[in-house]
Amino acid sequence: MAVFELQDVHKTYKMGSETVRALDGVGLAIEPGDFAAILGPSGSGKSTLMHVLGFMDRPSSGQIWFEGKEVSRISRDRQAWYRANRIGFVFQTFNLLPRLSVVDNVLLPVSYSREKMPDKRERAMSALERVGMAHRADHVPNQLSGGERQRVSIARALINKPSIILADEPTGALDSKNVEKILALFEELVDEGQTFVMVTHDNEVAAHTRRIVRMRDGQIEEDLRR
Amino acid sequence: MNFILGFYTGIVNGLREVWAHKFRSFLSMIGIILGVAALVAMVGVVQGMIQNMRIYFENAGGITRIFVEDMEPPVEQQPFAHLSPGRTYNDALAIGAGSTFIETVAPQLNIGWRRIQYGREREHAPLRGVGPERLSTMNQGIDEGRWFGDLDMEQASLVTVLGGHVVRDLFEEGESPVGQKVKIQGKMFTIVGTLEYLGTDEDRRRNPYYWQNRVVYIPLTTAMKRFNGDEKINELNIFIQDVSVMQDAIAQVENILLQTHRGIRDFQVRTMEEQLAEFKKLERSFTLALGGVAGISLLVGGLGIMNVMLAVINERIREIGVRKAVGARGYDIFIQFVAEAVVISVLGGIIGMIVSVGLVHLLKSVVTSDEFRIVLSPDAMVAGFFFSVTIGVAAGVYPALKAASLNVIDALRYE
Repeated sequence: MAVFELQDVHKTYKMGSETVRALDGVGLAIEPGDFAAILGPSGSGKSTLMHVLGFMDRPSSGQIWFEGKEVSRISRDRQAWYRANRIGFVFQTFNLLPRLSVVDNVLLPVSYSREKMPDKRERAMSALERVGMAHRADHVPNQLSGGERQRVSIARALINKPSIILADEPTGALDSKNVEKILALFEELVDEGQTFVMVTHDNEVAAHTRRIVRMRDGQIEEDLRR
Repeated sequence: MNFILGFYTGIVNGLREVWAHKFRSFLSMIGIILGVAALVAMVGVVQGMIQNMRIYFENAGGITRIFVEDMEPPVEQQPFAHLSPGRTYNDALAIGAGSTFIETVAPQLNIGWRRIQYGREREHAPLRGVGPERLSTMNQGIDEGRWFGDLDMEQASLVTVLGGHVVRDLFEEGESPVGQKVKIQGKMFTIVGTLEYLGTDEDRRRNPYYWQNRVVYIPLTTAMKRFNGDEKINELNIFIQDVSVMQDAIAQVENILLQTHRGIRDFQVRTMEEQLAEFKKLERSFTLALGGVAGISLLVGGLGIMNVMLAVINERIREIGVRKAVGARGYDIFIQFVAEAVVISVLGGIIGMIVSVGLVHLLKSVVTSDEFRIVLSPDAMVAGFFFSVTIGVAAGVYPALKAASLNVIDALRYE
């Protein structure tokens, strides 16, 4: 069963008097274990696609199945549940909360998951262990370097054992040395079976992935698996 | 359960936020703090004033006192109005003997200001003729010696009981006045007793009992026979057993007085009810006026909280976006910000209560007087606290709703 299956998904915005077709008939299937990069110039609809996949936005029309369930018309609260329990997010600017310690940042999705998790601290620690940041658990984000912060945010994405991790330009704010390390970490996670989709405009970064989806004008121009 | 947990987390986070922005939090609390303190201080001032008025009222005999006053007789009785003897000692005796609802009848003859002389010391004091029963109607006890007895009344003895102020003026400290003689209007009176000094302050503006302390008492019969030469009295106070028998008592007193006044209606029986109503009205308007002022200051405090909360939310749009992205519902965000408002207003309320204690003590030390006392009212503190919390929470609702309704994508993009 595919993690995501999209059929003829449209998303239109009104911008003033103009109607913007951010997604214009997208069909896509993301299989378990996929490591995909969505590439495209700005305005191609890749961010909108990411928002739709991340349960942050709803399509104007078309169908989306998530693990076999039709989810294109679910309520906002249900969307929030999926974000907390099924999706892991990694952002370009990390988006850690500066006032919370590293471990509390990692636990943030748990606090909104509304599911019982008795061993949450252990799980947070093992997620931090996985990204090599366990020794910094009690620091606050400002005490960490950019690469370290991105590792923490990956641990946060991992905490609820998500079906898929969505990464939005995850290496955009990192120096080249850290880019390599983070990409290596992604590859390891994928090798362990994690499904992974990232948005990027960097061909070099995309070259690390095993599937490249090129977008233009709200449509999928090319979908290559390697 | 989820609600309690969410709220608990919100409180913890709220405390963290308050602590992280100590100065800003303090600024947002200051309205609430001053509001609570103002409320408590104002209620303290009002209650102090009311307590004072109550003392005056109770000094005047309270609600169970009725009194007889002279009145112009009706026109048709005026040709033979001279047949009435007016208010006399006999009225008091007749009421005492004839009425069943009466606790005490206290006739009195106020002679006016007279010179009191002891050796070379002299003093002017209001001179009053009263009966043995009068002591029980006063809020004052005997300090030394005794009060008047039936024998004093029967013999119209030349004895006197002095008020506390008079004693202090005429006698040295430690000198016992009892048994000494003072001269009043050429007659030598033996001092048989002295009255307690009421209040603490000797300044007339600060002691509500000042005038009471200056009175000199002599037996009623002495006042009538040796000063005025007739049986007339100019005050007739009657204390009834209970307010519930007020109307019956008035009717009875009127009947008896019509007898003794030979049918002439040259008197009226009055009650303290008018004064009580007036007193209650004053109390209510004070409470409303000052409560209103304090309420407005609390409201302003609430607006302060709302203002700060709105600013805080603008500052934290990004954070709201992150929280929503990792799974927070609008409801979770709402609870978080309401909990922060609760933390601010509860802390503000607590600090306000502490400040109010200090403020009341400060006011007390500035205006130390018996007349203008200030009371620290625990009721007002509790009321102020809960009012401030309610207002704080209410002020937090709108900003929290605003935060909760933010779109996750826009919030994440916000710089």
